[in-house]
Amino acid sequence: MRDSRRTRTIVGLLLLFSLTLVVLSLRGGSEPRSGVSGFFAPVENAAAAIVRPVRDFIGSIGSLGSKDQQISDLQQKVDDLQGQLNATEYDRNRAKELNDLLRLAGAGQYKVLPAQVISFGPAQGFARTVTLDAGSRDGVKVDQNVVNGQGLVGRVVSVTATTSTVLLIVDSTSTVGARVEASMEVGYLNGTGDDETLELQLLDPFAPVQVGQRLVSWGVKGGVYAPGIPLGTVTEVRGTPGQLTRVATVKPFVDVTTLDLVGVIVQPPRTDPRDSVLPTPSPSATPSSSASGSASANPSSSASSSASPSPGKS
Amino acid sequence: MAWLRAALMVALVVTAVLLELVVMPWFHLPGATPDVVTVTVVALGMVGGPVRGALAGFGAGLLLDLVPPSAGLVGITAVVLVGVGYAAGLLGQEGTRAPLVQVGIAALLSGAAVLGQAVVGTLVGYDRVAWDRVPLILGTQIVYALVLAAFVVPLVTWLWRRVTPSGPRYDLVRP
Repeated sequence: MRDSRRTRTIVGLLLLFSLTLVVLSLRGGSEPRSGVSGFFAPVENAAAAIVRPVRDFIGSIGSLGSKDQQISDLQQKVDDLQGQLNATEYDRNRAKELNDLLRLAGAGQYKVLPAQVISFGPAQGFARTVTLDAGSRDGVKVDQNVVNGQGLVGRVVSVTATTSTVLLIVDSTSTVGARVEASMEVGYLNGTGDDETLELQLLDPFAPVQVGQRLVSWGVKGGVYAPGIPLGTVTEVRGTPGQLTRVATVKPFVDVTTLDLVGVIVQPPRTDPRDSVLPTPSPSATPSSSASGSASANPSSSASSSASPSPGKS
Repeated sequence: MAWLRAALMVALVVTAVLLELVVMPWFHLPGATPDVVTVTVVALGMVGGPVRGALAGFGAGLLLDLVPPSAGLVGITAVVLVGVGYAAGLLGQEGTRAPLVQVGIAALLSGAAVLGQAVVGTLVGYDRVAWDRVPLILGTQIVYALVLAAFVVPLVTWLWRRVTPSGPRYDLVRP
């Protein structure tokens, strides 16, 4: 070390500058990011475009001759995606089907923009985020929901012209309003930073929650998330009924480590009719029993006269 | 040749960032994302000395903090990688260490980067730091970094020699 004083000065200055940035961004400013993002996003996009054929090729070595299968799988995925958005999570359950139809009739479908995940935030950075290859030029805006065939992926937190950054639901700062499918109980689903675990906090500490119950997004009016998007399955319930807080562990439907093709909901339902038209919940657990139960329980919901050919079968 | 070295540093750092964000996640490895960036910064510190290591760390860290899909605090990776690059220059100076030892140092410093990020994050009150995940990320990162460094350190050393005509020690006089 010939000039260790100079070295220390330089390193000290670099550290000081970095820490200044940390403090500044703690105070909420993210202006430098938009500039660099705008410049770097196309580079990232291009890199992903270069890498993808290579990756696909490497992947296809193992499955030579099964391209047709792959295409049909992808087609299936697209169909599934559309189906999920029409809330097929409900469709084993007649009451849920009715809700679905009411929602569709009252508000129309989601409009979805397909997008490809091009990069992932490193796990050691603790922020669970991905980049999509669709940006403001494609109509993506901050706070739009991102889904895939399995359910909710996250929401857009920033956009550049050609890319957008998605905060995954497993990120520890992510909170989604959630509704237990069977009992209609509402709560907040928080990310933990772990890919496999979400935490559900129910608003009603007496609410019954069972392992295996599924959650959909709550879709509070004026909120960020659209209603009815599948979220995950309850895997563990902690705390007894009546305690101040009840927390359930939830496994997300979406495997965030293998995200590839996703959809950005660029147009949620114009209004959310569900909370106003929802009949009294029928908390039957099994799909078949609640199907007949709710169909007979809600003959009076005439709001759906235009959309009731199939529920009206009874 | 100083410009050439600077250009090489920039090119290596940008490539490493792209590799880490775009390519590495597709391997779906458990725990940490293989930290190409940290290993590259370490390698640059080893061939270029503490100052270049710190500079490379600063640039690489800032890039990771700013480019999509970054969402956390700006500067937190930069702080950590400045230290890592500096330490790499001090501990693993090329020519003073056997290549195998360099690889080991690179792996250890990658682990230090994970810890550093968690510690600095906790100190400044970053709400995302999940300490219960740190042991897994730390352990896997050291393993991944061992493998990465076995390729990256020799590659960076070779490239550095290509743009440094009078041998690697010469440029210490005039960084």
